[in-house]
Amino acid sequence: MRKIFLVSSIKDSLFTGLIALALFGPIVGLRTVAKNEVLVVSPKWLIVLVIVIVCALGRFLTNLYIYNRDQKYGIQSTIGKSITNFLDTKGTQIALSAIIFSVIFPFLPFTDRYLMDIAIMMLTYIMLGWGLNIVIGLAGLLDLGYVAFYAVGAYSYALFAIHFGWSFWICLPIAGIFAAMFGVLLGFPVLRLRGDYLAIVTLAFGEMIRILLLNWYQLTKGPDGLTGIPRPSFFGLPFKSFPDEGEQTFHTFFGLEYSPMQRIIFLYYLILVLALITNLFTIKIRRLPIGRAWEALREDEIACKSLGVNPRNTKLTAFAIGAMFGGFAGSFFATRQAFISPESFTFIESAIIVAIVVLGGMGSQTGVVLATVFLIGLIEVFRDFESYRMIAFGGAMVLIMIFRPRGILATRKPTITLHKKEVTK
Amino acid sequence: MTQKLLDVENLTMRFGGLLAIDDLSFSASKDQITSIIGPNGAGKTTVFNCLTGFYKATAGSMFLNKENERLNLKKFSDFKVAQKAGVARTFQNIRLFPQMSVLENLMVAQHNKLMNASGFTILGLFNAPSFVKKEKEAVEISKYWLDIIGLTHRADDDAGDLPYGDQRKLEIVRAMCINPHLLCLDEPAAGLNAKESAELNKLLLFINKEKKTGILLIEHDMSVVMEISDHVVVLNYGKKIFQGSAKETKNSPAVIEAYLGTEE
Repeated sequence: MRKIFLVSSIKDSLFTGLIALALFGPIVGLRTVAKNEVLVVSPKWLIVLVIVIVCALGRFLTNLYIYNRDQKYGIQSTIGKSITNFLDTKGTQIALSAIIFSVIFPFLPFTDRYLMDIAIMMLTYIMLGWGLNIVIGLAGLLDLGYVAFYAVGAYSYALFAIHFGWSFWICLPIAGIFAAMFGVLLGFPVLRLRGDYLAIVTLAFGEMIRILLLNWYQLTKGPDGLTGIPRPSFFGLPFKSFPDEGEQTFHTFFGLEYSPMQRIIFLYYLILVLALITNLFTIKIRRLPIGRAWEALREDEIACKSLGVNPRNTKLTAFAIGAMFGGFAGSFFATRQAFISPESFTFIESAIIVAIVVLGGMGSQTGVVLATVFLIGLIEVFRDFESYRMIAFGGAMVLIMIFRPRGILATRKPTITLHKKEVTK
Repeated sequence: MTQKLLDVENLTMRFGGLLAIDDLSFSASKDQITSIIGPNGAGKTTVFNCLTGFYKATAGSMFLNKENERLNLKKFSDFKVAQKAGVARTFQNIRLFPQMSVLENLMVAQHNKLMNASGFTILGLFNAPSFVKKEKEAVEISKYWLDIIGLTHRADDDAGDLPYGDQRKLEIVRAMCINPHLLCLDEPAAGLNAKESAELNKLLLFINKEKKTGILLIEHDMSVVMEISDHVVVLNYGKKIFQGSAKETKNSPAVIEAYLGTEE
């Protein structure tokens, strides 16, 4: 029994190696280099060999230890169970310590400008992930064009701030409302679609918005982008090194030395607060009738109809609220960068956000955080090895799919309980 | 004569060239369990789908008589039949929300009431006392029904983890949670064993006689039909071939012919 299994898994892994060779041979192995103004093929067979061996070996090991029916060797379930158990019992403490850590993070001794920038980026993705979690995780609507709402938020913030000179706190809700309107706009035509069909239409919607931004030159300055977006101020006190005559700035008001870090720290807290609001809102709304209706709609739309739940309104609210948070994140992005162009809102952004939600475990708020730290962190770690970043990204996804096929955290807690829940499993 | 709860008049449903229901008229009263029986493909489920707004009937009318109004069900599109007219249904293949808890399933059924109480989510976000009170009431109603089907101890488990028979019963009480005037059950006894089937009969009699909710029943299991239905409508090829009490039906030559064929 065991021997037959071994033989079949060796065969299987050799086959995997063959596929890897067919794929990576031409893509990685054959590289063209310019030599004396002529393009020459310079083969890189060694690296192909390494990749093929890694794939075959990896397949062999997963066959042996993970897909093995013989649970004695199954480590997948044990790892999964211990993670889930740990997070179940220590969930509140972990969340609290994560929040405390993120609050004191800017003042830790090792924190520098680079880390702050990454932290801000991660928080933006976390916020987007939480926003999209409403649409994908709760309502079960696979939205591949989420970046469109991010773009709408960023552009409406930028346009209102540039042309009307309104402050951040006025433009932020406006950007959110605009994004929500676009959410409804997308929602109407896709009401009857589900699954793959919905995914394709939303993907097209994302591209449409980007192309619109690219070509509506009078309004969006097209590929040139919008420049000179006002920087955020600390409740009216700007962050400036050389204030105008008689102008109060942040550092003069508080009697501090000017440092460019002040603005970065302010931006960090801004996105932290925005992200936490998104999180609290989602946690709360999940327990309200509308949140339960979203989840019911994800489970079975026909049953929902038979119970008198209005699927149209329910779906549209999910789209609108998800889009609104995308819009908030977008306006933060605009004020942080001070420059936006359609380049920043390509499909790959949507793909990363969807990856965060799906890898995190659909509907899990903590999962989004873990997946963001994992994915964005990984991309950053591999920043110096530019050409291998995507391989690392793909490899990470493969690993998660092997070990946690339903996402890092895939358990769902009921929104309402009749009995006090004893957490012993 | 007491007024009938449901009057179906000359209902016709045509799918292209196929005449699924042909000029069907029958009625159901509030204090009776009305069964619709017939061989496979007779159009029983199509009748349900027309009644509950999933199909739009080609012709004919369906009236629901409440205390002081007469509603034409044809005017309501899909979810509004449940929301506005109070016609609930279950499905031939159980349609619970499998990954939501038993209690959550029952709470979703009370969605419209709770949605209004939560001020379309805005009051709910701030835990307005009126909403909290309404939600507690909804939980009480859920608990009441769970007690009846004996599933209170499993209220927080996923509905998909329940045994088959319990899922059937849960689907029925979930439909009852929308507080319907008419409950349409599509083969509730399918796949149940004798003991579960007997429990189901008890539950249906309770709903009909104690809760005063009219029941329309599609069933293949003749023991259920004969035991609990007060009135039987027999369909074959979309046409009504017989109606009457359970006993009359059993002895009707037309019904026997439809089920067993004629002797040549």
